[in-house]
Amino acid sequence: MGKTALVIDDNANNLLLEKDVLEVAGFEVFIAENATKGISLAREKRPGIIIMDMRLPDMRGSDAAKQLLLYPETRDIPVVFVTASVLAEGIEEIRTIPNAVFISKPINTRTFAKEVTQFMK
Amino acid sequence: MREPLIALDQDLRVISVSRSFYDFFKVKPEETVGQLIYDLGNKQWNIPKLRELLETILPQKTTFDNYEVEHDFATIGRRIMLLNARQIQRVSGQELIILLAIEDITERREIEIGLEKTRRELEKIKLAENEAREYAESIIDTIREPLIALNQDLRVVTASRSFYEVFKAKPEETVGQLIYDLGNKQWNIPKLRELLETILPLKTSFDNYEVEHDFATIGRRIMLLNARQIQRMSGKPRIILLVIEDITKRREIENGLGKAHEELEALAAELKRTARAKSEFLANMSHELRTPLNSINGFSEVLFDETFGPLNDKQKKYVNNVLISGKHLLMLINQILDMAKVEAGKMKLTLSHLPMKALLSEMVLLVADMAEKKKLEMRVEISDDLPDIDADELRVKEIIYNLLSNAVKFTPEGGHIGIRAVGTGEAIAIEVWDTGVGIALENMDKIFEGFFRVDTPYSRLTEGTGLGLPLSRKMVELHGGVLSVESKGLDQGTAIRFTLPVHSNRGA
Repeated sequence: MGKTALVIDDNANNLLLEKDVLEVAGFEVFIAENATKGISLAREKRPGIIIMDMRLPDMRGSDAAKQLLLYPETRDIPVVFVTASVLAEGIEEIRTIPNAVFISKPINTRTFAKEVTQFMK
Repeated sequence: MREPLIALDQDLRVISVSRSFYDFFKVKPEETVGQLIYDLGNKQWNIPKLRELLETILPQKTTFDNYEVEHDFATIGRRIMLLNARQIQRVSGQELIILLAIEDITERREIEIGLEKTRRELEKIKLAENEAREYAESIIDTIREPLIALNQDLRVVTASRSFYEVFKAKPEETVGQLIYDLGNKQWNIPKLRELLETILPLKTSFDNYEVEHDFATIGRRIMLLNARQIQRMSGKPRIILLVIEDITKRREIENGLGKAHEELEALAAELKRTARAKSEFLANMSHELRTPLNSINGFSEVLFDETFGPLNDKQKKYVNNVLISGKHLLMLINQILDMAKVEAGKMKLTLSHLPMKALLSEMVLLVADMAEKKKLEMRVEISDDLPDIDADELRVKEIIYNLLSNAVKFTPEGGHIGIRAVGTGEAIAIEVWDTGVGIALENMDKIFEGFFRVDTPYSRLTEGTGLGLPLSRKMVELHGGVLSVESKGLDQGTAIRFTLPVHSNRGA
């Protein structure tokens, strides 16, 4: 079975770029432009990893990650936050969530897929 | 006659004496009349001075007055007597008789002496009293606070010099006046009336009673009143001492201070709010700027890497330009953000053990390519005993890379650059130097202001933000070190020295 990833980002360009880079690296990629759609897609598709923006239109990325923890089918999926925020508060927020890491924006297209793969089990 | 009187004949024998003589000298007529005066009372009267009087003076003068004789009598003790004598001719014959009046002034003299003594004592007391008064008055006049003494009727007994000065009053229009009438009834203050007439009789003293009043002469004043009712000795009526302290200025200062304090607090709160707003703004700005940069850098990278198909040379060159500019912009954003974090005190250092010799060699290697391209000769002098330090690895690397790349950038082809590092015990000292464009003296301070880039032919050729040096200094300082710049002027090269403690504190 091939590698699968879910990318949740409300910025269409980011979504497209991350999807492209991951697909080039051999991932099957699902996309969602908000947290609600992302969570239901995650429960349906059970991707190997979820890549999520911290700021989403309907809720904060960290809150979405906490919701994913509520469902047995999504509880163990690792989450990579892609964040442009470099303030300490944002980093602290991520530390409270198990199974989550962050990659700071802008992403390095040459290493992004490799980094993401590292976080998968 | 009350005074003893004695009549003598020419031979100084007693002819007769007055009754008071017998009473006074406690003698009897039978042992007196016919006797020589000197033999009287068992020769008690044999007084040399009396002899002189009767035998020498009287024959010549026929009279003498108030001749004082002091003598110790066996019967009546020591006496002081005033003798008055008259030689008179008896009517019934030619013989002279001597009348001698003896006035005992012993008691009078005693009284006089006593009086004199008393007078002298009185004088002494008066002197002491004057001294005490002068003392008290000089104290009163020395005190800066106006002071007045009132009698029971609240009339001014005395006022201190400062009272006259402060309230612009004259002694002649003050002393003896009712306090309320002073200065054209300016002192008719209800609160003062209450104090003097109601409170003081009950309490005999009051402290720090505040009274605010608008005086015609000196304007609105806030005064602190202190009063004592003093019971004078010897049953004299009481006096009231009233000390008036003008606290108008003090109150103004206090109020001013309070206001200033409030304003300062408001300002501090405002500054805090501004600082938070600034840091929020920067966080938002960096987010908003990074999001499009993500696309710019990401897509140009993908294009440059020809992930989705080959580009021709021109396309590849142009997309590389986009990528370089995007990366420059990203660096700028990162540095601005770092600067803001340092200034907001939010920059935290992550300390770890740094093998300095290895780290410096790594940094030198990183710029070696750049230096070689410009045909720069690089001299590396790392002391063998350079100690390892505890510091933030990323930040230390940033500082050194920044200084080395500046040296490369600002040194013309064929020049020299170098790095020196030594241990100084508690710290390490690193110097990065070059023979490049240097810094004009007038620009020495500006180079730490940020966004300042010396306008030289080279600056146009070089990429940079102008934030590298100020940020490096902040990072050094955050570690507890010092960074300084030395240049002898334009085209004289530059040397930047900084220290880092072997054990840094945690910053922020």
